[in-house]
Amino acid sequence: MIDQLINIVSYGCIVVGLVFWLWGTWPLVGPRSVLYKLHTLSVADTLGSVAIVVGLLLKIPSEWPLLIMALIALAIWNTILGYVLAYCSTEEPND
Amino acid sequence: MTFFLDLCLRLTVWFLLTADPSPINIGIGIVVCLLIPRSATLSYTASLRDWGEALWQSVVAIPQAYIEAVEIMVRPHRYEDLTRKDVPPRRTPGLVFLDIFVITFTPKTIVTRYHKRGWYEVHWIRRRKPQ
Amino acid sequence: MNWILGPMLLILLIPIYESFQDEDIWQKMLAFASVSTKTSIMILVISVLRDDWMIGVVGVLVLSVGNASLMLLAQVLKRVNE
Repeated sequence: MIDQLINIVSYGCIVVGLVFWLWGTWPLVGPRSVLYKLHTLSVADTLGSVAIVVGLLLKIPSEWPLLIMALIALAIWNTILGYVLAYCSTEEPND
Repeated sequence: MTFFLDLCLRLTVWFLLTADPSPINIGIGIVVCLLIPRSATLSYTASLRDWGEALWQSVVAIPQAYIEAVEIMVRPHRYEDLTRKDVPPRRTPGLVFLDIFVITFTPKTIVTRYHKRGWYEVHWIRRRKPQ
Repeated sequence: MNWILGPMLLILLIPIYESFQDEDIWQKMLAFASVSTKTSIMILVISVLRDDWMIGVVGVLVLSVGNASLMLLAQVLKRVNE
């Protein structure tokens, strides 16, 4: 019973992650500005990937040290990469 | 105190990477964490209360990020906007890092620049055209 | 569980296509950042599917090193453009 529930929740997480990936990556092809695409990419690459890894974690809890490490690395590196890209792609204001 | 926090962070990363709770590995971990040089530019004067608050904010940011993600998926946010957010006085570099992390982690906002004179430049996406 | 890899590969094609098609360097960087995260998550999924710890370690390494190198590259590009 509980096994089944965990199974459903983990598949749910993975599917949600895949939907986030698709939704957030699709605007990359469009003509929007770099900063707008960064917003949608933070939905896809950070939040979507976190959801997928949490789904994997529920499925195979025995590998938790590695997957938790992956979660931390994902959240911090992706967010800071977003900041660095935003910083580097905009011009210094003159005032 | 912040020295202790720093050590805890390093030990966490060490144990997650090695995943081995034997006494020898614990010893090696502690020695390595003490030997890695600590940044001289980070000043460790921030109060414990500020740190607690900032850490709590970064925990709250996780559910909030998902709520915002669903919001921008359901209702299109087409417009972009640039605002300033003031930095609270006497922020240490570590706290500024956490602030930038929390703001950028939520999908509606991204910090594009941190000005030494005391504000973050925050880029927003919005539903309605900004005035 | 193998069905997960199919949609992942299809989604991975989007940033790859974008990196070919767009001339602007920052848009290319965005696409590469996206490719880097997505491939490392795929490596993690495969490591869990095959129950192989070592592949997973590689995935985590790619996750951190790939993003770090893109940060350095962005800084270099900014200097060069000035």
